[in-house]
Amino acid sequence: MRWLRLLAMALFVSAAALAVVPSVVAVPADRVTASPPIPAASAAGDLVSSGRALYLTHCQTCHGAEAEGSGIGPSLHGVGAAAADFMLRTGRMPFSGATNSQPVRKPPAFDEQAIRALVAYVASLGNGPAIPSPTVDQNLVSKGQRLFVENCAPCHGVTGKGGAVGGGWLAPPLDKATPVQVDEAMIIGPGQMPFFSDLSDAQRNAVVSYVSYLQGAPTPGGFSIGGIGPVPEGYAAWLVGLVLLLIITLLVARDWKPN
Amino acid sequence: MTAARWLTFFLLVSTGASLALVAIYLLNGGPQLEGIFLALALGGFGAALIIWVGWLINAPTESEPRHSLASSPEARERFMETLDPELISRRRFLVRVAAGAATALGLALVLPAFSLGPLPGQDLFKTAWRRGLRVVDTEGKPIRPEDLPLDSVRTVFPQGFVGRPDSQTLLIKVRPTDLRLENGRDNWAPGGAIGYSKVCTHAGCPVGLYRAQQHQLLCPCHQSTFDVLTGATVVFGPASRPLPQLPMEVDSDGYLVALGDFPEPVGPGFWDMTHEQPSEGA
Amino acid sequence: MLGWLDDRLGTASWARTGLRKIFPDHWSFLLGELALFCLVILVATGVYLTLFYVPDSREVVYAGPWRPLQGQDVSAAFNSVMRLSFEVRGGLVMRQVHHWAALVFLAAITVHVMRIFFTGAFRKPREINWLVGIGLLTMALAMGITGYSLPDDLISGTGLRIIYSVVISIPFIGPYLAFLVFGGEFPTTEIVSRLFVFHIMLLPALLIGGVLTHLTILWVQKHTQFRGPGKTEENVVGKPFWPSQVFKSTGLMILTAAVLALMGGLIQINPVWSYGPFDATTVSAPAQPDWYVGWLEGSLRIFPPAEFTLLGVTVPSTFIPGILIPGALFTTLALWPFLEEWITGRHTEQSLLDPPREHPVRTGLGVAGILVFVVFTIEGGNDVVALVLGIPVETVTNILRVAIFVVPIAGYFITHWICLELQGRHGPLVPRGPGMQLRRNAQGGFDEVEEP
Repeated sequence: MRWLRLLAMALFVSAAALAVVPSVVAVPADRVTASPPIPAASAAGDLVSSGRALYLTHCQTCHGAEAEGSGIGPSLHGVGAAAADFMLRTGRMPFSGATNSQPVRKPPAFDEQAIRALVAYVASLGNGPAIPSPTVDQNLVSKGQRLFVENCAPCHGVTGKGGAVGGGWLAPPLDKATPVQVDEAMIIGPGQMPFFSDLSDAQRNAVVSYVSYLQGAPTPGGFSIGGIGPVPEGYAAWLVGLVLLLIITLLVARDWKPN
Repeated sequence: MTAARWLTFFLLVSTGASLALVAIYLLNGGPQLEGIFLALALGGFGAALIIWVGWLINAPTESEPRHSLASSPEARERFMETLDPELISRRRFLVRVAAGAATALGLALVLPAFSLGPLPGQDLFKTAWRRGLRVVDTEGKPIRPEDLPLDSVRTVFPQGFVGRPDSQTLLIKVRPTDLRLENGRDNWAPGGAIGYSKVCTHAGCPVGLYRAQQHQLLCPCHQSTFDVLTGATVVFGPASRPLPQLPMEVDSDGYLVALGDFPEPVGPGFWDMTHEQPSEGA
Repeated sequence: MLGWLDDRLGTASWARTGLRKIFPDHWSFLLGELALFCLVILVATGVYLTLFYVPDSREVVYAGPWRPLQGQDVSAAFNSVMRLSFEVRGGLVMRQVHHWAALVFLAAITVHVMRIFFTGAFRKPREINWLVGIGLLTMALAMGITGYSLPDDLISGTGLRIIYSVVISIPFIGPYLAFLVFGGEFPTTEIVSRLFVFHIMLLPALLIGGVLTHLTILWVQKHTQFRGPGKTEENVVGKPFWPSQVFKSTGLMILTAAVLALMGGLIQINPVWSYGPFDATTVSAPAQPDWYVGWLEGSLRIFPPAEFTLLGVTVPSTFIPGILIPGALFTTLALWPFLEEWITGRHTEQSLLDPPREHPVRTGLGVAGILVFVVFTIEGGNDVVALVLGIPVETVTNILRVAIFVVPIAGYFITHWICLELQGRHGPLVPRGPGMQLRRNAQGGFDEVEEP
């Protein structure tokens, strides 16, 4: 009788996925940074169930057999495709650090197909936010800078180099974040990051555009020595400036030709 | 290589770099090229001077006598004779009156300095928040508590005073049941939207960081940490007072409005902050 | 040409003494000159910057080439710095040389003060010059703070907010003084132009006057010298002013300029375009001042909450770490020659320098003092330390709260011990008091005994 229950559950999940998944991953062609299109609907059910299978192998220890959460990992019901996509593509999940430490960016553990399957499965667990499709627009960089300074700079630094936010947590540097990941982070508020999901699409596009600009920003003054301000500059003043000057002073005072 | 050859080498490097600088300037070569060639031009010349004096000229070490600076007792006596302080100090009464007049004159001459700025008055005790002013975001739009996502943080201002620094306020959305406030202050946080002054009570920086899972605000300047759920009480760092909480309610259209100004002065402490101030209706 | 001058000023007579004046040629005696040359470069580049800078807080719309700020409201001051950096040929390299020169200026002053302190060059008759020197150090700090606040960017403006809050914390006069200096409640439109006046006129006048006083006193009193063959209290051994010292100093000045030019072109410093204009409702992290103010920042971060109210007068939490501690440190530093004279009871003139190991207490206290500043400076960057080492910033602060006591005290005792060890190893010492001589004892060390 158990296999009958499993079959019923699989059919139900597939049906739900049929409703949810296409709206999640359908992508209009004119978006600049869109996720690649997902296979046709008939295969969607397979995606959710293969996602479920992957989930049971890799995720249920922390997130529970029905993704209801446990003492170690939160519930995934209603977190949405955006959350799963963010966590899996940035490699934060599967989590491999010490208990209660911060998940950090690392190479993803799953390939493209597996990620899509897992995302499809998590998306099927309720009405969470879909994977966004942000636009990077050079004309929005200035507006994005303003929003970034107001909302993001205190933690991530105005140059996006990251920072300590206390309690052992770090706001990560943004040099490797793709536009989709930046957008997802604003929507899902990962970890200690607050939720910025009430920002409009235009506002989030502006922030995404600014972060994208930061990643290729020129450093007209020369080596940027970290880009986090006066601390490295102070080190450079002593370890480069003063050291060079002391060497020169020693050479100047030296008796080159004692008579 | 002889000293003269080294000298010539360095001077040629310097001259070449100086000429290159002209081209770099005309062609707008940018700070990196400007810096490198300026360094070569200066460095070559400086090295040449050092070699010239240290190697070519190589003056011998000499000695010269050092005399004690103190003058002889006779010279000191002669000085005191010429100075003759008795000329003035004998007239003790006059000296005292003169000293008093000089002090008064000095104080009078300092008076224009007081025009440099206004008296603080009530400025440190009050912000622009008043009863009935709507809570608006940085674009001036009013806010409904239910429109705020849980665990979001916004910087808000009184309507009509967007950007006014003393009135900057953090609006945070929490679960109302998580709040543990005293003195009935949960009534000031309708729908779980709670407002605290953004001006740090330590040294006045905007308290910009929010650790959403722990519901703690962190000021980046000196790491004062405030617990949102218990009234922004200080849990770490050098701040000594919680962030003042903004009393709010929801108006008939569902938008957040202030019930009055902050109950305490915002920002860093000052000597008379506990003194009673004349009230003029919140 | 020299005859033309001599006809009018009589130079041939008095200038000759100057040309022949002897300067000892130890390398450590050039550290003060390093500071002086940084100042010369600061003035030269500073004048250039002044011709482009606009000391005005009025808002304008940024329309230059830096995309992230295009169309935004910025102060005219910030706008002028952006223009100088991106639209004026040679402007950015001048700005960067100026700022690197400022950082290196204070580093050079620091090592120069350390040399004077550890070799006892502040002893009679040079106490006045020590006081002038500490005054110069204070003014250099003020120049740095007023200078980096002129671009009116996000980071330096946050620093001004902290300074305003520290001034407000002074009991009774704090709020009045702060409102006078700033022209009202922070932020004001007056402060940028007032800082400008201090930075280009008032402070440079005092600084240059102080430097001339410092050099004149040095010239009149003659330089100290290290002990060595042929050197006594009654002579100065070295090379003559002309040509040796003139060529050496001029060469060193030009080479200092070369190093600063290299840094100004190759290493980015204070990229205000990245920080954006100052806005009192926003902030970025990590938030630090320039390195030489880091110790003050650390003092504010390290101090536990310490606000209290006495008889209705509140003493805010920034008063002790922001006013009293710096005041105590600098007062001790300034009065050091007199403290030492009072403690040791030694009032004789001394122009021969002793190696630091012969004064273990002074050397130990000097090292302890330096370590206090070092621990404070590290705490000033505690969020950067936390970021780089991956440890909680609270842990950094808690460790340093212990270290601020333990490290200087340990440093004193270790230094004291090292001095005594070096004394034992380096043989004959100069007897410590007048009328004393050294006699070898059975253990191989030395005893001070009275002269027979």
